[in-house]
Amino acid sequence: MAASVDLSRVTFIVLREMRKPILAIIIVYSLSIAGMIIMPGPVVNGEIQYLSIFHAFYFMTYTATTTGFGEIPFPFSNAQRSWAIICLYISVITWFYAIGSIIRLIQNPYLSKALAAHEFSNKVERISGDFIIICGFGDTGSVLARGLSDARLTAVVIDSNEERIKALKLRDYKVLMPGLFADASVPKHLIEAGIRRTDCKAIVSVTSNEETNLKISALARILNPNIDVITKSKVEIWEETLATIGGKVHIIDPFKTYAQLLAFSIVQRYFYSFNNWLVGDKSTELEQPLSPPNQGLWIICGFGRMGQEIKRALNKQGLRTSIIDPQPISPDEENVEKFILGLTTVRTLKLAGIEQAVGIVTGTDDDGQNVSILLNARSINPNVFTVVRQNSHENFAAFQAARADMVMQPSLVAARRIMLLLKAPLLKPFFKYFLVHQDRDHEMNDVISWVKTCVGDGNKVPLLTSFDITDKNAKVLMRVLENDSVQLGDLLKDPRDRTKPLDLVVLVVQSDEGKVIILPGSDYWVKAGDQLLLCGTDLGYRLFLATVNNEYKLYHVRTGLRQPRSFFMQWYVRKMGREGL
Amino acid sequence: MNLEKVIFGFFIVLAMTLNFGFFLGEISNPAHHNVNELFAVVVVNFIATGLKLGDRSQVGAVLLSTSLVADLQLIVAVFYWTSAVHINMAGLTPDVMTSIVALSGGALLANVVSVVILVVDTLMSRL
Repeated sequence: MAASVDLSRVTFIVLREMRKPILAIIIVYSLSIAGMIIMPGPVVNGEIQYLSIFHAFYFMTYTATTTGFGEIPFPFSNAQRSWAIICLYISVITWFYAIGSIIRLIQNPYLSKALAAHEFSNKVERISGDFIIICGFGDTGSVLARGLSDARLTAVVIDSNEERIKALKLRDYKVLMPGLFADASVPKHLIEAGIRRTDCKAIVSVTSNEETNLKISALARILNPNIDVITKSKVEIWEETLATIGGKVHIIDPFKTYAQLLAFSIVQRYFYSFNNWLVGDKSTELEQPLSPPNQGLWIICGFGRMGQEIKRALNKQGLRTSIIDPQPISPDEENVEKFILGLTTVRTLKLAGIEQAVGIVTGTDDDGQNVSILLNARSINPNVFTVVRQNSHENFAAFQAARADMVMQPSLVAARRIMLLLKAPLLKPFFKYFLVHQDRDHEMNDVISWVKTCVGDGNKVPLLTSFDITDKNAKVLMRVLENDSVQLGDLLKDPRDRTKPLDLVVLVVQSDEGKVIILPGSDYWVKAGDQLLLCGTDLGYRLFLATVNNEYKLYHVRTGLRQPRSFFMQWYVRKMGREGL
Repeated sequence: MNLEKVIFGFFIVLAMTLNFGFFLGEISNPAHHNVNELFAVVVVNFIATGLKLGDRSQVGAVLLSTSLVADLQLIVAVFYWTSAVHINMAGLTPDVMTSIVALSGGALLANVVSVVILVVDTLMSRL
């Protein structure tokens, strides 16, 4: 419906703008042609030759467009020539006027906007299968779009900045990613983006404006009650409002998320690298443990949102914290070893106790300051553990050269968190399982080496995906499950050679009733409606999909026998009293 | 090794090779095209079609359709031969022979497609 409205608007604008030039051309042409017919021509064989209407029109066509093929069918008389001079000037001017109007029309911002909207809704209509709406194509939005494209998930992007939408159109995504330059907090644009469609699974609002994000989230809930709403928020009062709009709402706070990552890393030394590896960070070594010190004093430079969240997380782990900040903090703040008022310098660092400190967090919103604090702190205490905040993506090289132990980039943290929510929601219970008990260190280690043997070399990006056993995804498997049972181990055998396992690991199974099993064994009996969290290679996943959708392959991996395909072979097998070949 | 694949592949390839043997030679010359060979081509093609019946996979369906095309062409060729020699007694004139061999050429093409699909499918599942 939205598309036809746009199209009628486009037609209307074109008709209105072109009305006058078309009228002018018609009048000028008809007058010129009429004149050419009336003008007496040359005398041939004693008769005056008049131009026919056809010849007059032919003459005008090439004269008005300044082509000039000459005088036909006979050389003109002077009367005709004098009229032709008048025609030429007037018609050429009229043509210029018409062409000018067309150019003006093309440059008309309303028309180009209407055309873009029309093209956009056409593209959205062509999307088949599930898709996601992303509002805001900034740092977070673009990282997210890249990740979704790698996972072959389609997204529709809306941004209020025209330059960013132009940039989007230049990217080489593996799937269709239509982009619209519009204000996403206007309901009309959300509807154009397909929010009311049942295959629109989630809306991610990551614009730079908190208020807009809130508005988009609320609108999305009203327009489609079943949709997942994911939004980035750094302000706590709005989080309350968001949490009460109903349905599935996920609020991503990059600082809270990162503070949690830090806390988990203190508990589990393999967590950080494993998590980074799973989200596709190529620079991570999978088996490299990272253990932030779990005893002693941490210094927090800059007590903004990041500083506060990290302090809370560190205190929870029983660590002592000192703070350096130019703004005075609330006197009610607990667990503050020392508070130093002022900018972070060598002097204030020493006052805060950098010599004895085990860790330092530089969390100001100025990248230059963060790097210089890092260098200062290290020059006084070379063994200190460093956590540094990188605000702008452009400063990547500087932070890499500074070799901090942990680099926190808010937009990247948010994008990765959203990616995992969309692609692998079961990763949360998976990690929770390992983080509840510290003694699950060995188990975690086993999982990591297992996953590593599956995926191969460390610098390959693993495939991490959810798989629902439904009619849509696994038709054949569902049919078999109706009156038979299938073991998970069989599904993970290579259909080409069932003695070998696929390069695929099932990390978590969640049954239809919500029961979660971490690292299910190969003797797990698969049920209809199970949701699997798979990790492995692209090829492994493709072969797995082939198995669950092809009855011959499924039969082969389960029994080791070949199911006879043709009627003749089926008869032969029955006659021999065998199950398969 | 899969017994069904062996039997299956044997008949499909044999159908193609026999068909090629019949097709080979000067197109209008009856001396170059043996009636017994045509008989063998038809029989082997029918067996190949029979073996393809019952496969519920996507590739199985395409294989069956190529076989049906070959059968159709060969049946027409045989009917033409029979009518020329036994019904209207026109004999194997060059233009009759040309039509018969051309029809078997079409069947050959269908058989080639069948073999190509078989090979590709086998390679794909080996990957």
